[in-house]
Amino acid sequence: MTAAKAPGRLGPRWRERGALSLLLGPSVLLIAVFVIAPACYGLYLSFTDTQLTGWAARDPQFVGLENFRHLLGSEDFLASLGRTGQFVFWSAIVGQTVLGMLAALLLRAKWLRGKGLFGALVLLPMVVPEVVASLTWASVLSSDDSGTLNRLLALFGSGAAAPLQDSPMLSVIIINVWRGIALAMIMFQAALEDVPDELIEASRMDGANAFQVFRYVTLPLIRGPVFLYLLLTTITTVGVFGLVYFLTQGGPGQDTELTSIYIFQRAFQYSQIGMGSAASVILLVLLMVLGLTYARLAKVKV
Amino acid sequence: MTHATTAPAEPQVPAGRRSRTPGWKLVQRALQYLLMVLLALFCVAPFAWVVLTAVDADGGPSVTVPTLTLDNFVSFFTDGGTPRLLLNSIIVSFSATALNLACGVFGAYGLSRYKFRGRTAFMFAILLIRVIPPPATIVALYLLMVKMHLDDGYIGLILVEAAAALPITLWLLKGTIDAVPFELEEAAWLDGNTRFGAIRRVVLPLVGPGLGAAAMLTFMAVWGDFLTPLVLLQSPDLYPLSIGLFRSFTAFNQVDWGVLAASAVVYMAPPAVLYLFLRRHLMRSSLGGALKG
Repeated sequence: MTAAKAPGRLGPRWRERGALSLLLGPSVLLIAVFVIAPACYGLYLSFTDTQLTGWAARDPQFVGLENFRHLLGSEDFLASLGRTGQFVFWSAIVGQTVLGMLAALLLRAKWLRGKGLFGALVLLPMVVPEVVASLTWASVLSSDDSGTLNRLLALFGSGAAAPLQDSPMLSVIIINVWRGIALAMIMFQAALEDVPDELIEASRMDGANAFQVFRYVTLPLIRGPVFLYLLLTTITTVGVFGLVYFLTQGGPGQDTELTSIYIFQRAFQYSQIGMGSAASVILLVLLMVLGLTYARLAKVKV
Repeated sequence: MTHATTAPAEPQVPAGRRSRTPGWKLVQRALQYLLMVLLALFCVAPFAWVVLTAVDADGGPSVTVPTLTLDNFVSFFTDGGTPRLLLNSIIVSFSATALNLACGVFGAYGLSRYKFRGRTAFMFAILLIRVIPPPATIVALYLLMVKMHLDDGYIGLILVEAAAALPITLWLLKGTIDAVPFELEEAAWLDGNTRFGAIRRVVLPLVGPGLGAAAMLTFMAVWGDFLTPLVLLQSPDLYPLSIGLFRSFTAFNQVDWGVLAASAVVYMAPPAVLYLFLRRHLMRSSLGGALKG
């Protein structure tokens, strides 16, 4: 506090330093202990055979790359990576982006009424906690005759379905699309505001149809924000855990066992902490490669 | 609550315009309205069950016309375990948000007003942290917390949640404080304020909106978190609403659907209300800004 007492004078350098470390210290400490340390510790754990319980838990050994060798040869793990890839591609890159873009374009139409309400309703799935999001879909997809989806199907004269049992992956993909439309809409809406109206009107005059205008005028202008969104949504979608775990816990069988769920189960159900950490490291490396690819794509083409 | 979709179902084209608008354009507009209504329905329809069952005297796992009652809410607030869940959620979210803001304001002030080596690197480093998906570090975090004897308690959970939201708070508040003219502070010093006095009397009142946005984002992140409490907490006494809902949902045979739905409504009300009220402000300034970095 001594440094704070003489703020007007340009005191010796260490006084400034003292004030700065007082200001920034708590934040740095919190982030270092509860965010950075676990990440580094996880990296270390991935080279050990640490167990949560049992005799091996007492004396974890350094096993080098053994965990990685095991995982990369393990069908379960590779399949979980494949499912995460599928999940990210269909729900985030295709579903959220397309529907979010449609919603943002709708919000841009000047003659459209009820845009305020529309925007608010689209936001709702993103706003509620993920547990509630899962719970709502549990009732929609209920295999019971009176589940919301089955009621709708009955209207069209179709028989009852049990989507969470029959096509679980498709179900969780749709749920994640539903949850993510809003973020895409917000980001694309902000990007579209920078596209001048005159440009679009001019190309309409030249005879371009709505799709051509979007493809050749609007999209190239908002390429940067679109790639930024793809990067963000890829990161968050790889990290999706609760939304799926709540509904299926990775099942039925292992049909919805994403890598995030695989990690959780390795570590906390089979108590193989080292193996779970190694899986996390592999996931992170893949994510980094993907992120750099996006960054490169965005830069090269802009 | 929000199941009543009232988006106009058909295009309302003023009579005067109809003569000028060509037919294909009308069809196009009708299609766009249809698209808007379908998208809105897709987003809202899943909530029908939660809302209807919460006020249903004998609700089940599916949508039925409710026999109107508020009993589910009454039993939520009076029954054995559930008020405790709400209380735990409130304790953890409020404490974590307060801690996050307290650290964030001073940290952001330091980042904004002091030029030091590695400042930019620090800002980008904490942004990069956000790239790590939570499930990837949760295993090591758990073990670390056990070693520090911080698992299975309020304190540990609060510290973790506050730290997890700090990067966003620091970015948001640094931007806000950057916008406060330094001259104002200098003037306050000349008037006899200490450096911290100037922060309190001059800077804090001016960064209100940024502070509010940071508080909201942090609160909602902590309130909605599922993975961290799932891993860190073992005592049912400490469970927040997210874990409580999960436990009662997976206890499939003896689940009371009415109370479950009522709990879900209570649980989603704070973030939903906060968001819908502050939506315009958020969408424009902070959320977009925070995401764009």
